[in-house]
Amino acid sequence: MDILGAWIAVFLTLAIFSFLYKDNPFYKIAEHLFVGVSAGYWMSFNFWTQIQPNLFGRLWPSKHYSEDSAWYGLYDMFGFAAASIFPEGGIDMGHDMHLIYLLPMALGFMMLLSIYKPLNWMARWGIAYTVGMAAGLRAYGILNSNVLGQVKNTIIPVIGTDLPFFSLTGDSYFNNLVILVGTVTGLLYFYFSREQTGTFGKVTKVGIYFLMISFGASFGFAVMGRISLLIGRLLDLIKYSGSEFHHASIWVLVAMVLLLGYSAYQEKESAS
Amino acid sequence: MNYVIELILKLAKVDRRWIFLVIGLVVLIPLMYPLSLPIRAGKDSQQVYDFVESLEPNSKILLSVEYGPSTKPEIHPMVTSLLRHVFSLKRGHKVYVTCLWADGQFMAEEALEEVAANEYGLTYGEDYVLLGFRPGAEAVVKGIVSDLRKVFTIDSRGTKLEEIPMMKGINKFEDFDFLFSGSAGYPGTTEWVLFASDPTGVPMSTGTTSIIVNEMMPYVLGGQIQGILAGMPGAAEYEKLIGIKGVGTSGMDAQSAAHFVIVIFIFLGNLGYFIERKRSKRHQG
Repeated sequence: MDILGAWIAVFLTLAIFSFLYKDNPFYKIAEHLFVGVSAGYWMSFNFWTQIQPNLFGRLWPSKHYSEDSAWYGLYDMFGFAAASIFPEGGIDMGHDMHLIYLLPMALGFMMLLSIYKPLNWMARWGIAYTVGMAAGLRAYGILNSNVLGQVKNTIIPVIGTDLPFFSLTGDSYFNNLVILVGTVTGLLYFYFSREQTGTFGKVTKVGIYFLMISFGASFGFAVMGRISLLIGRLLDLIKYSGSEFHHASIWVLVAMVLLLGYSAYQEKESAS
Repeated sequence: MNYVIELILKLAKVDRRWIFLVIGLVVLIPLMYPLSLPIRAGKDSQQVYDFVESLEPNSKILLSVEYGPSTKPEIHPMVTSLLRHVFSLKRGHKVYVTCLWADGQFMAEEALEEVAANEYGLTYGEDYVLLGFRPGAEAVVKGIVSDLRKVFTIDSRGTKLEEIPMMKGINKFEDFDFLFSGSAGYPGTTEWVLFASDPTGVPMSTGTTSIIVNEMMPYVLGGQIQGILAGMPGAAEYEKLIGIKGVGTSGMDAQSAAHFVIVIFIFLGNLGYFIERKRSKRHQG
């Protein structure tokens, strides 16, 4: 099974890499497989790790199970149709009964109605709840950590302490000045109520330089991240080129290069 | 001289597929034949290491796994190194693992199996526990801060929390002594800073993909995060600090070689652009 898995992993990795040469059927196979498998996998994963244990598990917990209850009568009816989802005696996930969870369940169903045109307006309620909840939840955190916290971190000494003037690794007056100038000029660049000319324009230009240095650092980190991912895939390809995997990487690479080469040759022939 | 200029112009217009091939080879060769370039721990990695070293015996460490297979090469070596560091100290630290990413659960399972179970022979439920994945991003973080037991009633194996010995006395985020977030994006380190560490004062460190390092640096410089393992170099530096080489270290030769070649390409591309611009100005003039 490990060997088969290795061959599939090698094929899919090289199929995706083959796009660097040009769009081709290997890439298409890998792309479509990825989209289909991902959709199915995540749907199943989320159902069995979230909806079944955390939603149904809170609506029909085993600790409150009673055969005489109408609510659990409904559960037993569901269980008759799908015993794996609604096992006998209630769902035992350590939850208490929380009927308030009927509300998110209803909102979830309403979101699904977006595919049914006459009732697709109902989907907006679910979306509105999600947007409102997320906005409210984030407002405090962002204000506290990103605004107040960062403003506080910018209030740093530029005179009158025992800091060294310059240090490559630790705190220094020079570093603090760079932070102060960078923050102030960067913020002024986004002040659009005044035309950026004259002295003000010169100051905002300094802000642009700071922003450009920041973008450059981001680009450098992005390159580093992509190379790291390539390293990860190549390490796997090297591992799978070993004899214990029947040299999967080498054989798949050779086959793919030959087939793409033959296809390119055929295209050239038919064009001429 | 003219020959050199023509060559630069030719290189500046080279088919990008040749560049892909060169980058591929430059990354592949050092992986097969390591150059063993020296690695020196930076200030930020050292800070993470020092903080873990300074933890009191029997500390409760929350490890949040927020990455998947696509970002595994960068973050997984950090997580395994951190686990090795924590367990090798033999100070009775307990590790609690949560996942804000669904596929993070598989990454966490792999890391715990490799380090905690196989290398250190530790007992699940007594030394480490995998609480697993819960959807909801910042809502989960908020939930852990206010009442962990409302978010998690069972662990990833389906065992009830009250039946897990090391969960005794763990009810909310403030019951932990330290948080390490292995993060590849949203939801991740930012959400832990915003909704958990900053409001409660529980210290945290992070290991992130290179791409989001810039976003995290203001938190590190401001003391909101205690050090950062920045991408694969961060992983390699941490491996150097704990003295156990891993994927991070082996990848750094390739990383350095690739960066060197990319810088050359950028330099040649710019040189070609300026020569071309100068020529066209001369023609116009």
